[in-house]
Amino acid sequence: MSRLYDTVEPSVIDDEMLRKAVEEQGPKEEAGKIAKQEGVDYCDVLSLRLDFRNILKVDNLWQFTKLTKLQMDNNIIEKIEGMDALVNLRWLDMSFNNIEMIEGLDKLTKLEDLTLFNNRITRLENMDSLPNLHVLSVGNNKIDQLDNLIYLRRFPNLRTLNLTGNPVCDDQGYKLFAVAYLSHLVYLDFRLIDEDTRQKAHSLYENKLGELMHNEKQAEVAIEAEKKAAQELLKHKDAYVEHLNSPVLFESMYKEDPEGMKLSMLPGLQDMLKDFQDKFVEVCMKIFEFGMKEYEKRCKEMREFNTCIQDAEAANKRQAVAVIDAFEEYKKKLFAELLVTSDAEIQERKMNEYHEGVNETWDKIMGLEMQLVDQLEETIKDFERNMTDLMSQLVEYIQGLITQVRDLENSHNEKLLEMCMTVLEKVVKNEMDEELPDDLRMLFVDKDTIVNAIGASHDVHLMKIDNREDEIVTRSGAWLSGHMQKIHADECARNRARVVEITNYIDHLRDEIDTQFMP
Amino acid sequence: MDIIIEDGQEESPDADVEDLKEELEAIQITAEPIIEPIIPTITKEDFSEYPESYKDNTNKEKLILAYVENYRRQYVHLFRDRKPLFLNPLNECGIEKFVCTTLRPTLLSYKALYHWQGCAEFVADYLTMKQLEPPQELPMCLFSPSTILKRQLGNCFDFSNILCSLLLGAGYDAYVVSGYATKEICLADESRQICPLLQPKKEVVKEAEKPEPRKYTVKPPRDLRSKFIIKMEARRKKEAEEEEKKKQQEDEEKIAELEKPPPDALYGLRIHAWVLVRGGKREVPEDFFIEPFTGQSYPPSSTSFLGIESVWNSINYWANMQNCASGCKDMSFDLMDTEKWEYMLAGSDQSQIEIPDVEEELYDLDDDEKENDDEKHLDMPATWVLPICVTKNQYEMRCPQGKKTTLYKKAKLEKYANYLLKDGLVTRLSVYDNNELTDLKKVQEWFENREDKLTTRVHQDGLITEDFVEGRPRSLQQHVYKASNPGPEAERTMTFFHKARVNGLCKREETPTEMTEHFVNRDDFLYLRHVLFGKRQKKVAPATAEGPPRPILKITEKFHRNDALPASKDVEEQIFIIHEDKIQITYHREDPNITASTRDFYKPPNAEEKGGSLQWSNDMTNTFQVNPHGSPAKNLAIYENLLQLIQTEQKSIQAVRSSEEEVKDILMDRQKEELASELAISVYDTERNDKAKKHRKELERLAMEEKLRRQEMEMDYLAPFLAQIGNPDKISKTQAFKLKEDCLADLKQRLIDKANLIQLRFEKETSELHKRQQDYQQKQVAMTKEDEEQYFNYCSEAMFRIHILELRLNRHKQMAPHKYMQLEQKLRQDPRLSVYF
Repeated sequence: MSRLYDTVEPSVIDDEMLRKAVEEQGPKEEAGKIAKQEGVDYCDVLSLRLDFRNILKVDNLWQFTKLTKLQMDNNIIEKIEGMDALVNLRWLDMSFNNIEMIEGLDKLTKLEDLTLFNNRITRLENMDSLPNLHVLSVGNNKIDQLDNLIYLRRFPNLRTLNLTGNPVCDDQGYKLFAVAYLSHLVYLDFRLIDEDTRQKAHSLYENKLGELMHNEKQAEVAIEAEKKAAQELLKHKDAYVEHLNSPVLFESMYKEDPEGMKLSMLPGLQDMLKDFQDKFVEVCMKIFEFGMKEYEKRCKEMREFNTCIQDAEAANKRQAVAVIDAFEEYKKKLFAELLVTSDAEIQERKMNEYHEGVNETWDKIMGLEMQLVDQLEETIKDFERNMTDLMSQLVEYIQGLITQVRDLENSHNEKLLEMCMTVLEKVVKNEMDEELPDDLRMLFVDKDTIVNAIGASHDVHLMKIDNREDEIVTRSGAWLSGHMQKIHADECARNRARVVEITNYIDHLRDEIDTQFMP
Repeated sequence: MDIIIEDGQEESPDADVEDLKEELEAIQITAEPIIEPIIPTITKEDFSEYPESYKDNTNKEKLILAYVENYRRQYVHLFRDRKPLFLNPLNECGIEKFVCTTLRPTLLSYKALYHWQGCAEFVADYLTMKQLEPPQELPMCLFSPSTILKRQLGNCFDFSNILCSLLLGAGYDAYVVSGYATKEICLADESRQICPLLQPKKEVVKEAEKPEPRKYTVKPPRDLRSKFIIKMEARRKKEAEEEEKKKQQEDEEKIAELEKPPPDALYGLRIHAWVLVRGGKREVPEDFFIEPFTGQSYPPSSTSFLGIESVWNSINYWANMQNCASGCKDMSFDLMDTEKWEYMLAGSDQSQIEIPDVEEELYDLDDDEKENDDEKHLDMPATWVLPICVTKNQYEMRCPQGKKTTLYKKAKLEKYANYLLKDGLVTRLSVYDNNELTDLKKVQEWFENREDKLTTRVHQDGLITEDFVEGRPRSLQQHVYKASNPGPEAERTMTFFHKARVNGLCKREETPTEMTEHFVNRDDFLYLRHVLFGKRQKKVAPATAEGPPRPILKITEKFHRNDALPASKDVEEQIFIIHEDKIQITYHREDPNITASTRDFYKPPNAEEKGGSLQWSNDMTNTFQVNPHGSPAKNLAIYENLLQLIQTEQKSIQAVRSSEEEVKDILMDRQKEELASELAISVYDTERNDKAKKHRKELERLAMEEKLRRQEMEMDYLAPFLAQIGNPDKISKTQAFKLKEDCLADLKQRLIDKANLIQLRFEKETSELHKRQQDYQQKQVAMTKEDEEQYFNYCSEAMFRIHILELRLNRHKQMAPHKYMQLEQKLRQDPRLSVYF
């Protein structure tokens, strides 16, 4: 900025400024008159210009939710802020300001054209949420890192870039670097990039570019895989059997079980433990598979239900629309006739006829609606019953399997106890061949200690298993009741909306003839 | 035959041949009396045009004829009451030929002739039929296909012979059948048959797939009507229907009775020949007959074919052993069945007709060898007839003179060759309401190669329907209009190829007061525009010949849903009621809604006039909003909407006017085209394409000229000398000598001059170099390095030049005498001087 700070009076965006700007830039002539009469809502404004106003701070723009174009050039703004409400913005001009850093653009996801010419920006950053960016103008700034341009690779639509007047442009390889790394660019610094330059740049940076692209691709693949995994997990969660296809549950039993960890050091226990884990995971796997199968079944059931409901609604709508169309046709004819007759008696008769027709239409469409409500109610009941059955089946089966898990744990516990007893005997008799770790030896002081330790470990394990079971039962129950409630609520809302619509329409019909033919 | 095989086994081969020879003679003797009446017709012709094979029999043919005679005798012996077989008729040169050898399987190079329909149609069209005389006797002769094709005239045996050859060539399992047929078939009388073009097409009724019963389908509302009444109603309806059907059937029977042909005295005796195509090859599912006169196919169960005596193709001959009392209905065409068919040549056919499995074949190989060792069968001799050939011109001419008329039941079919008629007509089908063909009901015409892309024209019930193929300037596809009123603003329907049109128009329907346009795939989602016209105001003196355009009363435009807009802002229908200055808008229905928002505008008069801006008042609009809780639209938005609509209205009016214009243009074009009726000629059609011909000739002419010019270009070395003596027409001896002398002297002089010139340059170059060398030696000490370098450069260049000049001089010296001699030689041979040397 060439202007000095203290020579100008900084101003703020206040209601008056906004109102004036809107009025000035709003519609003209007759339209302007109408606009003035009824006033313009800020939320309807599509473009706004606030230039040369010495604005220091961006504020009070939260009402302009539909704004697509905002010009705030030639002010003294220092920070990009207060624009989170302008989600529809496509065009933002903040050139000739005192901005030092790109920020605060995260919510402007539709932005296509961003101009920050002549500011004090040193780095290209914080623009990750602008995938639609077409034009970026950051000339006359203080960008000095050539590598910083690689940041712009994330914008697949970027066609025009302006960086003139930045320190980075003094670098000899700047132009070729930019062309090579930003292969989508068409215009750089006001000039069309010609094929020659492109080829030169490409051959110059071929190796580096290849490496970069390879890395990018790998990152992309990784992200994709992650996404897929997350989706899969979500699906598993919906089936309530997440992580049951891996030994996560088994490991979690030992994680919070210090005694168990200690005991696992016992010689000869490893094999037993391994055996136990295998069996445990096998049963878990069964639970998982069953859960997924049931999940598919549920999904199918829901799909079928939804299509049937939609079909029924569509069929009902067709009938109702036919009734309404027929009446509209009749209405048009009647109005045309009424216009030409002047006989009061005939008019009277026709109007009575019309009112009867309106009543009849109301009967018909209301009847259709009532019929639909009855039909849907019955179907929803059926669906609810079936879903409840499905759910109880699921829970019962899973509970059966979890009992198996518990049995495994019990038998394992018994075996462990037995083993510990023999070890204890040996320890007591000092016949132990191998050295035990100290903290394990601490447990083998007397019978009570070891029994307590094993008991504690067992309790922890059982608790974990019980928790998992409870989780499945409560979550499935909650989902079912929630889902059914939603269906009921939706149906209720639909019915209300339809009744309101019908009433509104009938009222309109009654009003219409009155307004048209009553003096 | 069994017997002959036994004979052959008993006798020695030599004796067999001897025996055959004897038999052969015997045949000729017996045949003679029959030949007599035909000889005069044959002797008229000159046999010399026929090849040897027509005039004589090879030994093998003689052998086979002996075989045939044996077969015939056995047949006659065994079946005394049956008619003789058609085995060895005479050919055009009066030589006996076995019928199987008269077939020549041929595949012609025309696409249509690869299918049996095409072959049958071609044979039926190309030849003119001649009925058998008398109809209950076999013909004496059977001419070769090439002769028949040349004469374009033949009887049923000739027809079948050619058709069967073509079908065999195309890979069908075809046979010529000799048998008996009804009078209609024998005379190719189709006047009791429905024209094949009029036969109702079998519609494949696809049963609508029943949607699978879904678990949650809602129950239909309870039906409160009485079941009993419904049942009774259905019963009554059914009864009425049945009665109707019965009546119809009776009527049909009555009509059929009336239309029956009169009884034929020769029923069952009329001899006919046709073609049998057996299933199995070329994806033919089952056996069928082809009637060669008409090219129609019949199922074997057809009542028109009354009996079969024998069948044959180029491989073998079979006599029928089945009873034909009930026609061909119950006949089996399994020719392998020796109970039902008696073959003539044993062994020759088995492998060819049965399709052996690969495995079997492998297995058979050894068997065959064994069999071959055991017994040798006589196989069919090669055919004696010339190859069947049809030139492109002949093929395109189709019928003799390119014209053919066929009468059908209540219909007349006329066929013309392509390019025969000036308007490109190829087929005309006239349908009549009565059997006497006087009451014209419908005329359907097919065209080919029309410049205006017209393909068919149907005139029926006062309506003319014209169909076009793609490629017309305005992409017209079909045009239906009243014959009585072809002008504009009348009732008509035009269908367009909407994909080729910028505005996506697919159909335009018109009546004097209305016009409806249908659109497809438009960017603005418009799919229908309906216009209501008012009556023209009568004016005393119209300015133009056509008068002012019809006033538009109302324009209705309908739009598909545009998913990019919310339904409440997406216009479904806009109606411009122009004479009331009213605009009615109906918006699309939101998905769950059953009512649609509407908005009416009442525009002030002359609102569309530019200049003064429109004044707004609240009573200019009337709105119904579906959602009563939604915020009502702002006046500003409505006002802008109105302004926009006023513009749209103008645009729509413009569109209507241009549509009217277009209709007029199309009609004008059609009129012009009808008058010109030009035919398009393919660029590949070198025969007819005059332009291409001209172009080719032009090219030839240019090449010729080029050649001439090149000849002229060659230098006349005598010209300057001739000019000196005044270009005389004739050259005297002295002049000739003088010319020669002059010419040679001139060359000598030039050669010497050239040598001198080279010498001069050489000397000059040498002396220059010498001078520079001397100069250098003198100033060598004072010279700078640069000068020195320059000097050396000069020296090497000069040396090079001197060397080149030296070489050239030497060469010139060597070449000069040669050149001199050459010229002398040339002068001697010059046509103008050679007289004197």
